[in-house]
Amino acid sequence: MPSLTRFVRTDWFGPLLACIVAIAIIQSVSPTFLSLANIQVLLLALAVNALIAFSQMIIIAIGQMNLSVGAIGGLAAIAFAGAMEVWGLPAPLAALFGLIIGLACGALNGLLVRISGMSAFVITLATLSIYKGVNLGITEAQAFYGVPQAVKAFGSAVIAGPVPWLVAPTALVAVWLWFMLRRQPVGRFILAVGGNEHAAELSGVSIARTVVTAHAISGLLAALAGILLVARLGVGQPSIGDDWLILSFAAPVIGGAVLSGGSVSVAATLLGVVIVAIITQALVLFSIDPYLTQVILGGLILAAVSFNRLRESRFIGRFGRA
Amino acid sequence: MTDSASSAMDTRPASRLSSRSSLRLFLLSNEFGLLVLIIVFAALFHGLANGFLSPFNLFALGRNAAVNILIGLSMMTVLATGGLNLAIGAMGVAAAMACGWLIEGAGLAWPLAVLGGLALGAGLGVTNGWMVVKTGLHSFIITLATMSIFFGAMIFLSQGESYRALPAVFSDLGRARVFTFVSPMFLIAVGTALVLSVLYRYTVQGREMLAAGARPEAAEMSGVRVERTVIACHMLSGLLAALAALLLTARNGAAIPSMAGQLGQDWLLPAFLGPVLGGTLLQGGKVSVLGTCLGAFLVTMLTSGLLLMQVGAFWVQSFLGILLLLAVMIDKGRRSYLRRRNLA
Repeated sequence: MPSLTRFVRTDWFGPLLACIVAIAIIQSVSPTFLSLANIQVLLLALAVNALIAFSQMIIIAIGQMNLSVGAIGGLAAIAFAGAMEVWGLPAPLAALFGLIIGLACGALNGLLVRISGMSAFVITLATLSIYKGVNLGITEAQAFYGVPQAVKAFGSAVIAGPVPWLVAPTALVAVWLWFMLRRQPVGRFILAVGGNEHAAELSGVSIARTVVTAHAISGLLAALAGILLVARLGVGQPSIGDDWLILSFAAPVIGGAVLSGGSVSVAATLLGVVIVAIITQALVLFSIDPYLTQVILGGLILAAVSFNRLRESRFIGRFGRA
Repeated sequence: MTDSASSAMDTRPASRLSSRSSLRLFLLSNEFGLLVLIIVFAALFHGLANGFLSPFNLFALGRNAAVNILIGLSMMTVLATGGLNLAIGAMGVAAAMACGWLIEGAGLAWPLAVLGGLALGAGLGVTNGWMVVKTGLHSFIITLATMSIFFGAMIFLSQGESYRALPAVFSDLGRARVFTFVSPMFLIAVGTALVLSVLYRYTVQGREMLAAGARPEAAEMSGVRVERTVIACHMLSGLLAALAALLLTARNGAAIPSMAGQLGQDWLLPAFLGPVLGGTLLQGGKVSVLGTCLGAFLVTMLTSGLLLMQVGAFWVQSFLGILLLLAVMIDKGRRSYLRRRNLA
């Protein structure tokens, strides 16, 4: 049955299987797991976490890493909340302002990586502390509480049944990313540079433009995640983004992204986010110490990268090094 | 004092370099540049901020520099292999908390508890190194995962509580002064750096660490057991991180779970600043112990000076980030200058 083997070999099959198994196990132990209220909680977490994961995924696609995802998200979040409270901007304009800041921060990362020729790790470590410092310098670690009622209402409104409005932007982004990486030249260039930078350059792809574009997209998505989080929490906290680092790597890696670049999947990353959300939720349902979440997330990353490595050498016969 | 694996095999002996170009090489080295910067900024802060060179400020500077130097050295030992270690903060805090528990929970004497803390740091380092070697994955993703695991386990076991009833010897070490302005903590850090520089320069193990980082395949063929050497580098990193956290415990007078921030992330920037400013190569194979110490000292001095000049504490983080960027750019310029002149 060739169609079945093809199905099994797709990058999202493993995560999907893991997802279904996890849901089945948890549902059989705790029947309230798939209740409407719980699904809504899951979707709310998913809406923000998926954007964080996509923000890192697009950088993993070019074979780099972005440590400043959380710092950009936090800066955009306080810019959004601050613009509404201090300048009295209407919410859509303030959101646009936050997104532009995210885009600019991301583009700056890309430019610096390109100009210095240093590893993105060191550059984004430096910009991480620059953006975080600016965030704390402006807010002096105080939250913006003056978020308008309309924004808070958007954060808790539902489209239908358990599906919250917050999911809508994330869904649009997921479809756009999928389309871009599959069909659009920009997306193909990003994957080509990640797969083999030298070959991509020889084929006429502008490395500089592609790297800067990928980083700008990453910044934009991180900013969107920060803004949605402000809507959900109803407060512009400066600490937004502090705990995104592990989260941003966990989902793409669990989804099977190859860290050396060139191979990422929107669907698999999304499933990675679902797996992380389900497991975090299960810990709450089984009243397991929330402190253990960190341990389990770290263990999941280790298990996933080891499994990916095995899969690479078995099926694809290609060794990724990252 | 830059120790490089390639220097032994250099095709051009140092004696054939004219004394003028070797002087220029020294003037272009990271270490000399850092020394100049340290002197310039010390003069600047002395002029601008009141009491920068007062005995108390120098003492406080030494205490903070001691921790930063050890954090930088801890990262440097892993950078030597061409890898990196994100879990430094998590390992350090876990070791300090273990030491606190051994004293308060298990009732051990403090020297044994300190040894226990250091052993835990080394053990966690071995775990990292073993996983890096066995999976063949890059240390970035391994230590990202273990950072979460170590920190989560530490918080779970301690339930987020600090150990505050430590013996007086800890706070005495934090308060003691030699010659009215030198902290013994600083002397401990300098002593550790001396041991490391002897290790990299004169011992077989140290040379093998650099060789394994510069060219693993070539080192393997020359009889270096690369896997074991990489694990040893990670062990050293864990040991130094534990020592840094124990000194921080002495300074605070308590072992606090949040002393390196969420997941120990607050240590990442100082950990990279020292080695990168000091000229340690991220690709591995070349370390500079003196450069790392000077880099860490410069960072500590800038932080202290900026705070004395009433620059808000929050902005200092941005300044340090910009400093790392500048260091990277200057290093790039210096390297291309050396290449143009055929000096390196």
